[in-house]
Amino acid sequence: MTAVSVRDLSFSWKRNEPATLEIPEWQVQNGETLLLRGPSGSGKSTLLSLLAGINTPQKGELSLFDTPLSKLSGRQRDRFRADNIGYIFQQFNLLPYLSALDNALLACQFSSIRKERIAKAGETPEASAHNMLKRLGLSESQIQQPAHSLSVGQQQRVAAARALLGAPPLLIADEPTSALDAEHRDSFIQLLLELSAKNDTTVIFVTHDAALSRYFDSHVELNDLNKAGVTA
Amino acid sequence: MIKLAIKSLLNRRASVLLTVIAIAVSVTLLLAVERTREQVQTNFANTVSGTDLIIGARTSQIQLLLSSVFHIGSMTNNMSWDAFNDIRSRPEVEWAVPISLGDSVGGLPVVATTEDYFKHFRYGSKQSLTFAAGDAFKGEKQVVLGAEAASKLNKKVGDNITIAHGSGGISFSEHDDHPLTVVGILKRTGTPVDQTILTSLTSLEVIHGGESHDKHDHGDSDAHPPAESISAALLGLKAKPLALRLQRQINTYKPEPLTALLPGMTLQELWKTLRVFEQALTVISSMVVLIGLLGMLTIMLASLRERRREMAVLRAVGAGPGTVFGLLVSEALLLTVVGAASGLALLYLLEWSLAGVIQSQTGIVLSFAWPTVAEWWRLGLVVATGFVLSLIPAWRAYRQSLADGLTVKV
Repeated sequence: MTAVSVRDLSFSWKRNEPATLEIPEWQVQNGETLLLRGPSGSGKSTLLSLLAGINTPQKGELSLFDTPLSKLSGRQRDRFRADNIGYIFQQFNLLPYLSALDNALLACQFSSIRKERIAKAGETPEASAHNMLKRLGLSESQIQQPAHSLSVGQQQRVAAARALLGAPPLLIADEPTSALDAEHRDSFIQLLLELSAKNDTTVIFVTHDAALSRYFDSHVELNDLNKAGVTA
Repeated sequence: MIKLAIKSLLNRRASVLLTVIAIAVSVTLLLAVERTREQVQTNFANTVSGTDLIIGARTSQIQLLLSSVFHIGSMTNNMSWDAFNDIRSRPEVEWAVPISLGDSVGGLPVVATTEDYFKHFRYGSKQSLTFAAGDAFKGEKQVVLGAEAASKLNKKVGDNITIAHGSGGISFSEHDDHPLTVVGILKRTGTPVDQTILTSLTSLEVIHGGESHDKHDHGDSDAHPPAESISAALLGLKAKPLALRLQRQINTYKPEPLTALLPGMTLQELWKTLRVFEQALTVISSMVVLIGLLGMLTIMLASLRERRREMAVLRAVGAGPGTVFGLLVSEALLLTVVGAASGLALLYLLEWSLAGVIQSQTGIVLSFAWPTVAEWWRLGLVVATGFVLSLIPAWRAYRQSLADGLTVKV
């Protein structure tokens, strides 16, 4: 089974405009960890919004785990995202008024499948989120603290816990370390990959920093992938 | 999702609290206006009770009621004592109290009547007049003051007052040489009686007796009857159903043109003419509620910009734009429901704390009661309006979260 399978994909934000993204062929294997590098303007956020099922390509096929996203309705894509994709933003990942624990638990709010996966492991969502946060290095008191009182590094760890809670098969991280210093960055990535590996989660890690590629199975340059600028 | 809405609201508690207060106060106002109106209407209908007919010289029923009960305006014609005597002696009449108007003290109306007035006059739910001090007048040169009149004139039992002719504040002729003694002060009733100065018909005759005004003819002092003519009379009947028949007979009274009215019916008619003010008040308080809700709308719209990241996070964990829409609508509903409930609580708090003051100042007795059906409707309408208004920010948030997706460019 392939995690991501793309064929003849073409997408433009507005109709009758030249495509922002054109990918003839791209596959990501299940359980693979991949670093996707691209400068700003290379269609990074466009590709991510397609992968997350926020938008659908006008042409071509995009399948996640053999499910063609373009065949799903908007509501079904929202469900699919809730069940299968953990997503980490660059920053501002959390609802500031919820505690770290409640933020992590948001992952289960819209997905019964994630809850089931946790139940199969013999845990409650609360206990699972709590363990996850501890593994990621948050203290007992920090776990109960409202998110806005945490440091940026801690907030990113909470975001990681939320993304990984309930073992989604795909983790998408959109430059999650850009706000961290080098030391925190490396330990964050290592932890993230370690926890992902446990569940055989496929990781797509977007960054502009090629130096990080040593942590990942493969390294893809978006400019090589995207033919939009070339053919137009 | 409701939990999420509550937590989100608590996070913005300062602006949320202000919004709730604005809605609560406006709802209180809306309900208070309605309640006051109802109480006033009840009290209005209660200004006279137990009186079956009011009679006077031929005029409109409303004018006769206004002058005889509310002491507003003046009767241009009087009815003769003979006619009064004739009607009083009819078999169906149980009691009859004559009243004569036209004089004043410091702008307060003087009602000249007989001692029977204290015996037969009823207000509210058939309550009779009671004395706060002293007693009814027994003879000439004595007056009884209504509660308000006593405090306005600053008189107590034993003090002297002089009566001026005419009902204006400033009179052209004061009967200085005939001072009257205050013998009694009435308890507050919440009716126009509070404003009046009650004296006997004979006292008034004595005062007017020595003088020779061209314009008025309160009569001569030599007559046996206490007055030659009177302004109006209150009648009590032995059997209430006779009122309509007697009214017709009096209205077609041969010896002189008279008018008879049924107080309850004419009060109703009068109230109808006041409906415009009542409606204006309702419109104004509805506007205030609308302003309160628009305040909520403003705050919600203003908060949308800073909440775009919040929406993006929710979408990332799988919330659809519909959920974002629902979140905002439920927030607004929560605000209006809490606002309306607080408004209702505030209303009861006000009633509870002000009931004593209101009763002593106006005589209006506030009765505690659960919200009426009409009031529930009003509350429901407030919440429904809040709901409809919330569709605007909810729709914007929906569009926003569709456009933003997971990438917020702020």
